[in-house]
Amino acid sequence: MLNVKIKDIQFNNPLLTASGTFGYGDEVKSLTDLSKLGGIVTKSVTLDPREGNPPPRIYETTSGMLNSIGLANVGIDTYCKQKLPFLNSLDTKIIINIAGSSLDEYVKVLEKLEESNGVHVGYEINISCPNVKKGGMQFGVDCLMTEQLTKRLREKTDKLLIMKLSPNVTSIQEIAKASENGGADAVSAINTLVGAGIDINTRKPVLNTTFGGLSGPAIKPIAIANILKISKAVSIPIIGIGGISNYKDVIEFILAGATMIQLGTINFSQPQRNEEILVQLKKWLNEKNISQIMDLKGAVECYS
Amino acid sequence: MIREIGQVVFNREIAKHFYEAEIIAPLISSKCKPGQFINILPSPNWKNVMRRPMSVSFQNDEKIRIIYKIVGEGTQFIGNWKVGESVDLIGPLGNYWKDWEGYFPILMGGGVGIAPILNLHYYLNSQNINHALIMGARTKAEHFLQPSQNDNIFLTTDDGSIGVKGWITNALNEFSFDPLKSKIFTCGPPLMMEAIRKLSLDKKIECDLALERLMACGFGICQGCTVEKTNKEKHQHSYRSTFALACIDGPIFSSSELVSC
Repeated sequence: MLNVKIKDIQFNNPLLTASGTFGYGDEVKSLTDLSKLGGIVTKSVTLDPREGNPPPRIYETTSGMLNSIGLANVGIDTYCKQKLPFLNSLDTKIIINIAGSSLDEYVKVLEKLEESNGVHVGYEINISCPNVKKGGMQFGVDCLMTEQLTKRLREKTDKLLIMKLSPNVTSIQEIAKASENGGADAVSAINTLVGAGIDINTRKPVLNTTFGGLSGPAIKPIAIANILKISKAVSIPIIGIGGISNYKDVIEFILAGATMIQLGTINFSQPQRNEEILVQLKKWLNEKNISQIMDLKGAVECYS
Repeated sequence: MIREIGQVVFNREIAKHFYEAEIIAPLISSKCKPGQFINILPSPNWKNVMRRPMSVSFQNDEKIRIIYKIVGEGTQFIGNWKVGESVDLIGPLGNYWKDWEGYFPILMGGGVGIAPILNLHYYLNSQNINHALIMGARTKAEHFLQPSQNDNIFLTTDDGSIGVKGWITNALNEFSFDPLKSKIFTCGPPLMMEAIRKLSLDKKIECDLALERLMACGFGICQGCTVEKTNKEKHQHSYRSTFALACIDGPIFSSSELVSC
């Protein structure tokens, strides 16, 4: 009923976790049954370890939050040694999110993972992080660079290759097309939106880096709009992201054209929400006499 | 760490602006150690994206307590908790107070920062470990502890309406202690803790401080609750050596490893 397929990979259900909102899985294992998830997308890994940005890094907004973590992570070598064994032991699909500051860096990280003993099914390529000076977004806002990067990575792997798109562009459709032309198996969208806030008493920005990424339910309508646009532009599957926090949101994204979705900011306050959503999704589909959730894919009926 | 649906036993005002709630949460309570915290979903109808982290101020095998002031939306919801209401908690989280052996513990709590300090106070009492407890607040009306010279319990107020007038550190003149054989355990407003941190470094007194930070998750995945460390061994590439996380590397840090509070 809930199973979905991207290329040759079968997922038990369309629910993934968004990179950076579920760690490497081990942090959350006592709070939710990881085997219930369709899959886990792990926190961005880079070639070298990264401290990330100075504090303050997060700020709560109306139905959302700003973050400027700056890709803090253990680096690929420690990742392979310390994180892969646990991820390999899980009864769920693993997708590894990779970030880099140059084309070569992305390729090196992917090569190391291809040579590792990881049983991951694919990679999500972060070309849309708004919080680092060099790294990602210069690719994600440029069609040519997106296509080149996708091609280089495609040459190196037969696993799922997913490009994660930024909404901070003039035309997300063009970047999606560039990903498709480069050989991506899917695109995921959207990453966070550039946002900022100011403390009226201290007159300081609420984030050390002034600008950060806005996530949470506040951005859901923007995400839906972007999924609708991308689904008209490409034929590869879309993984929907952006403020999803309940089963109705999941259905809405699928109607807009998504094949899978990622739960992001909701994991911080409700790490078990994926389990609740699955129960409610099945109940709703039964009530509506819908046998396969994929029957709803792209089934939005727009006004002519 | 576990998610537990607790049940409110009481939720009452204990001093001006200070509230205390007791919650039946046996799974968290039985595993909790003084200094640890819980992350609270203020209401099932909570529309914001972050829980509210709060230190445990008391625990037994079945129950935990928190102490809070109503300052924003989250604590407004918590202030409305009714007896018997179900509340969604994640805990116990973070590290805990330790390494008082061989020292005379001096416990210093300011404002609602008294919460994790009280939990340590109760624990040390249960182990018959002699120690001093100092609580600082703005006025007499905000105090809910009884001062006692015999039990080494001291109060300070900004206006002198009870106890020692002025900074919480003024209370350190009220009893004698050997700086080299004492250790400060403290939690409170950043300015207070920064003053205590500097004093501990000047006078070479061991000192552990529990920091408060904005947190989205409380268990190491959002990476938002950053604490800057002195990081004497700087590497070109590192992770959590300079920017530690209050939720899993803390909330308790020693004064020498912090850049500031």
